[in-house]
Amino acid sequence: MNNLLQNVKLLGSESPWLSRLRQSGSSAFKEQGFPSAKTEAWKYTKLRELKSKDFIISQTTSDTTAIELPFDCYKICFENGWFCPSSSNLPQGVEVIPLIEAILFHPELHNYICKLANINTHPFVALNQAYLQEGVFIKIEKNVNIKKPLAIISHTEGSDINLLFNLRNIIVLDENSAATVVEYHTYSGDTKSGYLANIVNEIYLASNANLQHYKVQDEAFKANHIAFSAVSQNRCSKYQSFCLQRGANIGRNETLVQLKDEGAETEINAAYLMDGWATLDTTTNVEHLAPHTYSHQLIKGVVSGNAKGVFQGKIHIAPNAIGTEGNQLHKALLLSDNAEVDVKPELEIYADDVKCSHGAASGELDEEQLFYMRSRGIGIEEAKQLLIDAYLDEITTKIDNEKISQWIKLITQENRK
Amino acid sequence: MTTPLLEIEDLYAGVCDKEIIKGFNLTINEGEVHALMGPNGAGKSTLSNILCGKEGYSVTSGSIRFKGKNLLAMSPEERAREGIFLAMQYPVEIPGVPTSTFLKHAVNSIRKYQNLPELDTMEFIKMLREEGRKLGIDADMIKRSLNVGFSGGEKKRLETLQMSILKPSFAILDEADSGLDIDALKVVSDGVNALRDGKRSMLVITHYQRLLNYVVPDFVHVYADGKIVKSGGKDLALELEEKGYAEFVKEK
Ligand SMILES: Nc1ncnc2c1ncn2[C@@H]1O[C@H](COP(=O)(O)OP(=O)(O)O)[C@@H](O)[C@H]1O
Ligand SMILES: [Mg+2]
Repeated sequence: MNNLLQNVKLLGSESPWLSRLRQSGSSAFKEQGFPSAKTEAWKYTKLRELKSKDFIISQTTSDTTAIELPFDCYKICFENGWFCPSSSNLPQGVEVIPLIEAILFHPELHNYICKLANINTHPFVALNQAYLQEGVFIKIEKNVNIKKPLAIISHTEGSDINLLFNLRNIIVLDENSAATVVEYHTYSGDTKSGYLANIVNEIYLASNANLQHYKVQDEAFKANHIAFSAVSQNRCSKYQSFCLQRGANIGRNETLVQLKDEGAETEINAAYLMDGWATLDTTTNVEHLAPHTYSHQLIKGVVSGNAKGVFQGKIHIAPNAIGTEGNQLHKALLLSDNAEVDVKPELEIYADDVKCSHGAASGELDEEQLFYMRSRGIGIEEAKQLLIDAYLDEITTKIDNEKISQWIKLITQENRK
Repeated sequence: MTTPLLEIEDLYAGVCDKEIIKGFNLTINEGEVHALMGPNGAGKSTLSNILCGKEGYSVTSGSIRFKGKNLLAMSPEERAREGIFLAMQYPVEIPGVPTSTFLKHAVNSIRKYQNLPELDTMEFIKMLREEGRKLGIDADMIKRSLNVGFSGGEKKRLETLQMSILKPSFAILDEADSGLDIDALKVVSDGVNALRDGKRSMLVITHYQRLLNYVVPDFVHVYADGKIVKSGGKDLALELEEKGYAEFVKEK
């Protein structure tokens, strides 16, 4: 199984600091291996299929595919996991630097990289660190508000070779700054391509910083997408995230948020749409480590075919975190008899005087509503689509940026032709 | 003789092993307005649901023909596209689907079936506004989620609006008057009467005679114990109001 730790030539091997990081990632992965069926954190998301594959480390950029987005944005483009300067469009006067360049020439990055994402508890993070090279370092200076979204676009050219690529993005917002980051994971070519995209984000929000983080996972149907974001929040900072997963055979979007100082607030919204035999996993872990911190989570899934949705949501409230509010709600719409959702909410509350709630609901399309629409001449499939759109509307309207919200809405509708 | 619009012959039907309709016969020709009156629980809503193809009902025998075609073989949407419309006793709320979006899909589904070009958003909204104004339905209501937060009266007005926009050849009004105060009743009846053009047929289902003062039927049928026990002209409704249903149920 350790065929994943291949001897490939990476950039920057002359840097002892970088070599050490890679070495420790590699050792940690070797020690843990892939999560097994017994690993609690991966209990519902079985990796058997992923583990049976031979992956080849992506080492070349193929022809770049220009990805258009229907809103004005800066672009940081990756092709098969490699940074593509030609299709990218980086802002001026703001630090948005390809990761390897930042590693070698911006020592400041050393304060942030490989600090939040733990290799000893997360084997995929260890794997990612073993190949540390590609990704982006975004640093927004104090009091700067970048209005134009920064889009990190990862495009894979699907082929019969199962590529593995690792991206590591470090996003740092200094005091009182604001930015919108969009992650878009897409592909073209062979829809049955079984590649593995392994993504790690480390995000730092200083006091009063405000990050809107939107993600669309639209990988090939047989691909694997494993993503881990760790977010560290200081006083009165705000993290608003939305993740739509609709591609991949095995997809996991895991978020760890640490609310480290008073007034920090986080919002995690997610949706998943699935069919076939896919497993899509949304895992969240929100740690309230200071008084008066707030978290809100709304996750909605639409599952059909033989697919399985997974939601694991943990809210931890530390003993000193009084006056804290944490709530979480998961809802799923099951469209077929074999559709499944596994939900594991976990509340760890060590403080008094907190408001904490969680809830889960799953159901089918409402027969009365369907009949009402059909009795007005609307065909059954169209009626179902209208109801599914309405179901997801609750969550897509939470996206503040109107154009991005519209874009994501359209993607959710495209899914069901 | 021309084919009747609707022919229900010796219908037996029920729900969950419970027989509700027992030997029901009714023929409605083009342009006729029939009233069907019966006590609570007689099976009026059951009949209208069966006419529209709602799932969960079983027809054990008998036939229903609409424009000469076997209605029972059609899906609910086919029936609607063929021209059947049911103004429901309890209109359904659909959170997240704006009324205008819903209606646009409905209108265009029917137009497509009739080989007419689909309406674009501008044309559609204009028509919706105009028809809405007549029924006291403002633009704000049309933007809101379908029936969500609408009062009983507003829901009934919206059903009437849908009918005037979808222009069915046969409309069933199931207790269109329930929950309406006198002013709302007048608005709804005016809307319904505006659709009486000598070609469109209607089945007006009601419990009370009140609505029939406003929407005056050509025929009145008394429905009890699963079938029509008496038929007559519009005066039958008054007689019924006077004597009560018990009288008629005994008569058979
Ligand atoms: N889904 C159902 N399951 C069981 N019984 C039903 C159902 N729907 C209606 N009924 C029964 O069928 C009878 C007729 O109901 P309904 O058609 O609603 O009467 P009406 O509209 O004339 O008041 C009633 O006794 C009612 O309780
Ligand atoms: Mg009824």
